[in-house]
Order: sequence, then structure tokens, then C-alpha cells
Amino acid sequence: MRKGYDRNMEFFKKTLDPMIALSAIAILDIFLFLLVGAWTVGGGETMMTGLFAQAVLGEETLARIPFWSLVFKPDASYWKIYISLGMLFGAFVGAVLSKEFYLRYPRRLSEWVLITIGGLLMGIGIRLAFVCNVSTFFGLTPEMNLGGYLSISGIIAGAWVGSMIYKKILEG
Amino acid sequence: MDSAIGEALVAFVFGSVVGLLVQRSRFCNTAALRDAILFKTYRNTKALLVAMMILTIGFTAFMTFGEGNPMHFDVGLNQVIGLFLFGIGMVLAGACTVSTWVKSGEGNVGAMWALLFTFIGMFLFSLVWSANYWPPASASMTGQLNLEALQLGYSNAATLQEKYGIPAVVFGVVQALVLYAIYWAIVRKENAQKIHHDEIAAQHAAAVAE
Repeated sequence: MRKGYDRNMEFFKKTLDPMIALSAIAILDIFLFLLVGAWTVGGGETMMTGLFAQAVLGEETLARIPFWSLVFKPDASYWKIYISLGMLFGAFVGAVLSKEFYLRYPRRLSEWVLITIGGLLMGIGIRLAFVCNVSTFFGLTPEMNLGGYLSISGIIAGAWVGSMIYKKILEG
Repeated sequence: MDSAIGEALVAFVFGSVVGLLVQRSRFCNTAALRDAILFKTYRNTKALLVAMMILTIGFTAFMTFGEGNPMHFDVGLNQVIGLFLFGIGMVLAGACTVSTWVKSGEGNVGAMWALLFTFIGMFLFSLVWSANYWPPASASMTGQLNLEALQLGYSNAATLQEKYGIPAVVFGVVQALVLYAIYWAIVRKENAQKIHHDEIAAQHAAAVAE
């Protein structure tokens, strides 16, 4: 019994090989694909944005912005929201059990600025494309959807430009 | 699956396991691209490629029999531009959609800040969209080529099967082989890097011994 417990706790002491982690995620994603749809994050985040906006601005004000009635009508029961909440929960449990949970802050002002710009670009990019990086690599492309190949071209080009900016900052 | 509660429950369980596995493995999609471009290291890139191979075979095998729930919307130039902006953003923020949630779960305030501004970015985009209505909303998608709206229509492994009469999984196997070729090229490059490093280390050790 004790041995089994120790073996289980080993999982929280060592870093898991990402190849094993991603293979397990891929198999689970196939089940998700059969039940509701492939793994995605951007759609749930958009719905959360709509729900937050509705809470802050009110239903009437939000109704004046056509996007929130024609593209994403705020709906708390939208399944994709719960993937994100699950990831937050699973990561929290993993971090607590492996004693890796602690509050950490970006140290320099420049980091705050980069994260702010990066976050904004991610939000705008997801909505413009109708997809995020997860849908690109774990949904559209494995479904051989043309959108997957368009998205991969975009994200590789963007990551290259981002990396060059990042390199300049590191060198500067 | 019909019930909204059932769907939400399945999604939450899936997300929880993913969050745990990503937290324990330190996998990062941003690193999979950034590290390959900047540092020529491929720990995350190889894992991503293996996952894509499994998914391609799995999805297309079920799509051959009309099973599964593939994404269904028109695609076009907006995917290229949108993911281009996203790609820059994820490298600058040091996190993608998965790692913002996972790192937030670990207590990373920077990741929570990135998440907050992702939401703000989405809201700002909703204002722009409400002024120009591009890219088209689902209701006005036709599934066909629509050059005026810069849309190429809808196609995936199932539509290829329908069009050519070849099982979707055959296309899937071809794509998986292409992904494997990329994986194999990376492994060869890593081996060459290792041999090069070993040679330099041996030369250095010999120089020190002299």
C-alpha cells in the first residue's frame, strides 16, 4: 500500500517526459472529438470574455455590439469554457502536490509591457482567425482542414517574427 | 452528446487531466516553435509532432466512417493573419492559450496578466468586427469559395473522401508520414548536434591534458 502511494507521489517529484504527456493528451483528445469536438481553448475564452463583458457592461449595452449576438451569444453552459477551467484546476492540483505552487511576478517593467502586448495580440489573433494554437495543432490540422494549414503558416511566420523581436530584446 | 451539463462535465474532466499532464511535463506550445527557431532545441517540438501524428490517424480513421465532430466553418486569409498576430503575441507573452491557464494554476501572475489582456484583445476585436463584419459569421458562411470575403470555403479529410472516393484515413496516413519525416529530420539534426558537441568536448579535454 505504502509502495503504491510512494509510486504515485513519484509522479509529482519528477518532470514527466512531454512525449508521454502529449501522447496521452492526443488519445484523450480523440475521445473528446468523438463526444463533443476536438480540444480547443480560444472559443471558451471568447465566451468568458462575453460573460465578463455582460456582467460589467450589462445585457443591454452588450446587445448593442452585434458580435455578441451574431457570432458569440454569451452562454455559461458552453462546453469549451470548462476545458479552460479544468486546465486551471488540473494545473493547480499538480502544482500543489508537487510543491511548485507559489506566487511569482514578472520582475521588470519591460516584461509587464511585453506580456500586455502579447496578450492583446493573442486575443485579437484568435478572434480574427476563429481559431487558436490548440485548434490549429490539435484539431484542424489532424482533421486535415484547410484552415489548419493556413493557420500553421501564419503561426510559424508569427513565431519567427516574435522570436526575432525577442532576440533583439535579449541582445539589447 | 446532447446534454449541456454532460458536455461541460466531459470538457472539465478532459481539461483537468490536460492541465495536470502539461503542468508535470512542462510542455509549452510557444517553446515548441520559439526554441526550434531561436535555440535549435526540439524537446517540445518533437512531442507536438508525435501528438499530431496520433491525432491525424485517430481523427481521420473515425471520419472515414462519418464519426466524430470535426470543426465546421469557412476558412480564408483571416486564419493566416490571425495566427500570424497570435504567433508574435505568444512569443512576446512567453505563453500560449494552454500555458496561460496552466501557469496561472501554478500561481504565475504574469500568465494571469496575459490571460486578462487576451480577454481585452478579444473584446476590442468584437468592436472592430461589429463595424466591418469581417471575417463572415457562421450564418453567412457558404462552404464555397468566396473571394470577395477572402474565404476559401470548407474542406477536410471527410470532404476529400466524398470528392475522390478514397477513405479519409488514407489521406490521414499520408499526412502522418509527412509529420514523421519532419520528426525524423529533427532527430537526425539532434544526433548531428550531439556528435559535434562530443567532438568539441574531446578536443577541449585533449587541449587541457596537454
